[in-house]
Amino acid sequence: MENPYIPYPVSIDAITIENDAKDLKTFKLTFDREEDLKAFTYMPGQFAEMSVFGKGESPFGIASSPTEEGYLLFTVKRTGTVTKELHNSEPGRKIGVRGPLGNTFPWDRMVGKNIVIVSGGFAFTTLRSAITYMLCKEQRSKFGSITTVYGARDPGELMYKDILKSWEANTNIDLTLTVDRAPDNGWHGRVGLVPNVLKEVNPSSENSIALVCGPPIMIRFTIPVLLELGFNKDDIIISLENRMKCGIGKCGRCNVGSKYVCIDGPVFTYAELEHLPAEY
Amino acid sequence: MESMEKKIREIAREIFINQKIDFFLGYEEGSVPLKSRPFFIQAKEKTPDGLINRLVWNSFCSNNLAVFLPKFFEHDPRKKPPRIGISVKGCDLRSIVALIKEKQVPRENIVLIGVPCLGMIDKTKVEANFQGLEIIGSEETPEGVLNITTKDGKKHHLKREEFLQEACIECRFPMTEGTDYLIEGKARDPGDGGYARIKAFEDKPPEERWEYFKREISKCIRCNACRQACPTCWCKECFAEQTDLRWIGASIDLSDTMIFHLIRIFHQAGRCVECDACYRACPMGVDLRMFTKKIVQDVDELFSYVPGFSTEDTPPMSTFREEDSDNFISEP
Amino acid sequence: MAQGVIKKEDLYRLLSTAAGKKKVYAPIDGVGGIEFAEIHEQKEITLDYSNSKLSPKSIFFPQREVLCTFADDALEEVQTPKEALIVFGIRPCDALSLTYLDKVFSDSAGRFKDPYYLKRRENAVIISLACKEPRATCFCTSVGGSPSGKEGADILVYELADKLLFESCSDRGQDFMKTASVLFKQAEEDHKTAAKEQAEKAKDGMPVLNLNGLKERVDKVFEDPLWDEITRNCLGCGACTYLCPTCHCFDITDEENRKGEGYRIRTWDSCQYPLFTLHASGHNPRVNKKQRMRQRIMHKYSYTVDNYGDIFCVGCGRCILYCPVNLDIRDMLNTLNKL
Repeated sequence: MENPYIPYPVSIDAITIENDAKDLKTFKLTFDREEDLKAFTYMPGQFAEMSVFGKGESPFGIASSPTEEGYLLFTVKRTGTVTKELHNSEPGRKIGVRGPLGNTFPWDRMVGKNIVIVSGGFAFTTLRSAITYMLCKEQRSKFGSITTVYGARDPGELMYKDILKSWEANTNIDLTLTVDRAPDNGWHGRVGLVPNVLKEVNPSSENSIALVCGPPIMIRFTIPVLLELGFNKDDIIISLENRMKCGIGKCGRCNVGSKYVCIDGPVFTYAELEHLPAEY
Repeated sequence: MESMEKKIREIAREIFINQKIDFFLGYEEGSVPLKSRPFFIQAKEKTPDGLINRLVWNSFCSNNLAVFLPKFFEHDPRKKPPRIGISVKGCDLRSIVALIKEKQVPRENIVLIGVPCLGMIDKTKVEANFQGLEIIGSEETPEGVLNITTKDGKKHHLKREEFLQEACIECRFPMTEGTDYLIEGKARDPGDGGYARIKAFEDKPPEERWEYFKREISKCIRCNACRQACPTCWCKECFAEQTDLRWIGASIDLSDTMIFHLIRIFHQAGRCVECDACYRACPMGVDLRMFTKKIVQDVDELFSYVPGFSTEDTPPMSTFREEDSDNFISEP
Repeated sequence: MAQGVIKKEDLYRLLSTAAGKKKVYAPIDGVGGIEFAEIHEQKEITLDYSNSKLSPKSIFFPQREVLCTFADDALEEVQTPKEALIVFGIRPCDALSLTYLDKVFSDSAGRFKDPYYLKRRENAVIISLACKEPRATCFCTSVGGSPSGKEGADILVYELADKLLFESCSDRGQDFMKTASVLFKQAEEDHKTAAKEQAEKAKDGMPVLNLNGLKERVDKVFEDPLWDEITRNCLGCGACTYLCPTCHCFDITDEENRKGEGYRIRTWDSCQYPLFTLHASGHNPRVNKKQRMRQRIMHKYSYTVDNYGDIFCVGCGRCILYCPVNLDIRDMLNTLNKL
C-alpha cells in the first residue's frame, strides 16, 4: 500500500532571499530520485508539505510552474519551528516534500478566458506558478489577456523581483504593482491598497476569470470590487489557507464547513465560499 | 440547604432587579445523578425569573465556578467588561481572590455571594459503593441522607457525611469571608488541612512513591481537563503547547505526561487553593491530590504562605526574602 | 449465519484457539477503569461492564503512533503495523463507530488510504457484545444504532446467564467460528429466544432523542446567538473528543534526540483546543469556545453527513458521563433542534 504520509527525499539546490525584511526565502528543490521527479506531477494552485526531519512538516503553495522542469520552488516566510529551520539551512541540505496536494486552479475553465490576477503579500506564490505557466510558449495562446495586480506593504516586500521586471517588459501580460506605503524615492509603481488599485485598473469582466490570493482582509475587500466590475461569483477563484497537518483530509483541522481546504481546496470559487462558514 | 438555595435565588433576583449585574453564575440540576452543573443567567430586559428558579444549592455543587471568570475579562476594546454575580464556596472564593491578585478578574465587576460550605459529595465514592451498578437517581434530605436509586430499582440511603470529598473533609476554610453577600448558615467545622497524609506518603520508600506516581500518571490521556478546570491555570499559552522551544512532546509517552503534570502543579505553587477541581475533572481518574497538596504544604511550611486570602500581599514565588529557605541548595 | 454457544469460562480457550497468530484483545478492569487490552488468560477478562471508559478506537488508531523514524536529515524506516487482532467485547455502538472511522481512513475516492489504521483493521476480527442493560446516558437507537446492532461486527455475542451465544455477521466471523467449531455447542431454540428477548428489552428501555431534521436545522442556525448560551459551560478540555469513538482528529509532530535521531509521530488532537486551527500568522479561524464546540457538533451531525452520509455519533454517552461540567450533548441537540 502506498503511504501518503511519507515524503520524497529532496535536496535544497539554491536559496534566494525575496524581501528586505529577509523573512521570505525561496527554496529551489531537486529530487534525489529520478522516479520521484516523474511521480510529482502538478498544476499551478496545488501545494505540498515541506518536511525537515526533527522539526516537522508545513504546507506551502508550489511557486514553480510545471513548465519549469526538473525542480520545485517554494517561498517560505519565517514564522515557526519548521520555517525557522528552513531559513537557517544551507544549500545541499536534505529535506522532504510530500505532495502534490489539493486541487488546482480551474485550468479547463480558464482556457479561452481573459485572466485577472489579484494578489497581496506573500500569497503570490501559486500565482507566480500560474502566470509562469500561462506565459510559456506552448500555453500563452490558450488564454486571452492576462491582467495582474500585485501589492505589498512596501517595494522591498515585493517578491520575485527579477521575474516581475521581465513581466513588466513583457507585452503578453499587463502587470500593475502597488505598495501600501509611499516610499521616499525610486518607486515607479502605484501607491494604494490592492482592492482600490484593482478598481483603478478596472479590468473587464467580459469573458474573464479572476484569481485572488492574499491575506483574509484583502480577499474580503477585493470581492466586492470584482462583483462591482461584473464578475460572476463562479468566476472569482480564491485560494484559501488554513492550518494543516496531514494534507490528505484525515486530521480534521483545515475544514471550512464540510469542505477540507487540503483536499476540496485550496482553490474555491466565491460561489462555493459564499455558502460556507467564514472559518478561514 | 434548601433555605440557602432560596436565599441565593432571592439575592440573584435582587441584584438583577437593581441592575448590579449582567450575568449570574451559579448551579443548576445536572443531567446525570450526583451532579449539579454550572449555570449562567444572562440579564435580558426582564428579570429572568424562570432561570433564577432553576438555581440550586446542594451537595453536588462541586465545580469551582471561578474558572469561568478570566475569559470574561480578557482585554477587548470593543466590549465593556461585564458585571458578574457569583455564588461561592470557601475554595471558589479563594480562587477568585487569587485571580483578582493576578489581575485576571477586576474585583469591582464581581458581586460575591458567599455560601457557608457543608462539603460536597464525592461522586466516585458513591459510585464505588455500588461497584459498577449504575446509579439512576439521587437526592438528599435536610437531615444529611443521600437517597440513591440504582438500576435494579432499589433505593439506598447513605449518610452524606461518609461520602464527602477529601478536599472538603480536609478543608481548613469552609467559611467565606469578605463577600458582598453572605448566606446565613453554619459551615462545616474546619478540617486539618491533610498534611499528615503527605507526611505519611513521604515516609514511604522512594520506589513505592515512584510506583504510585507512575501508576497514576499512566492513566493520563492528555485531554487537559485538569488544566482547563483549574481556575488559576489561565495562561494564554501553556508551556505544554509551546512549539518554538518545545518543552515536552505531544504524546502520552510517560515521561512527557509526567513532566506535564509536574510543571503544571509546580506552576500552582503559592496559587493552588486545594479545591481539587483538577482531580474531579479528570475523566480517567488520575489522582493528582497527593501532588497538589504537597505543593500547598511546601509553600506553607517554607514561606508561611497560604494563597487566596489577600489581594495585596506578594506571592512567595514572585519575591525573595533573606529568610527564605535555601535548603534546596544545601540539602537537595 | 453461523451460531454457537459456549460457556463463559471457556471464552479465552475459544479466542486463543481461533486466534492462531493473532493477538487477543478483551475488556479488562484496568487501573483507569474498564479498558481493552491484550490478554493471555481467562481470568483477565471481565464481562461486568456497561462499556469501556476509553473507546476501542485506540486499538486501531492509537493515541500515539510512530509514522516513520529518521536520523539527521534522512528517513530511516517507515513503520506500519503488522499485528493481526481479535477484539472481543466491544459494544455495538463502538463496532458501528469503526465503520465510520473506516470511511475516513480508507477514503472512498481512493486517493489517500491510511496504511496504519487500515493494516490493523484489515487483519482484525471484531466480536462485539450485545448490551443487556444500556446506561441511562446511552442513546444509540436515536442515531441509527441498536443495543444488539451488527454493523461493524464480524460476530455478535449475547450474554445469557452462564453462557455466550455467538452469531456470525460476516464471512470473516463465519470463518472464525469454523476454525473453532469443535468448541461450540449448538445454539438451542431457548438460547435464541432468550437472546431475542434480551435484545428487545434493551432496545425498548432506551430513551428516545428526536433528532429528525437535525442536520438541516444546524446548517440553518450556524450563526444563531444561542450557540453562545449552550456552550458557555464548556471548559475547553478535550475529554469529550478523546473519549469519543468517532472523533479521529490528529496532530503530526517530530521528536528527536540531540544526535538528530527521532521519529515522526501522530497523536490524537482535539478541535476543542485553540491551537488546533491557529495559523502561523497568529490569525485563528476559531478563536472562542463557541466556535470550537459548534465545530464539534457540526462535524458530527452535519459535515460527516455531507461527506460520508452518516452522523458521526453512535450514542455511547461517554461525552455526557465524563464531561467535567456535565455539558450534555443531548441537551445541546435538543435545544438546537427546537430553534
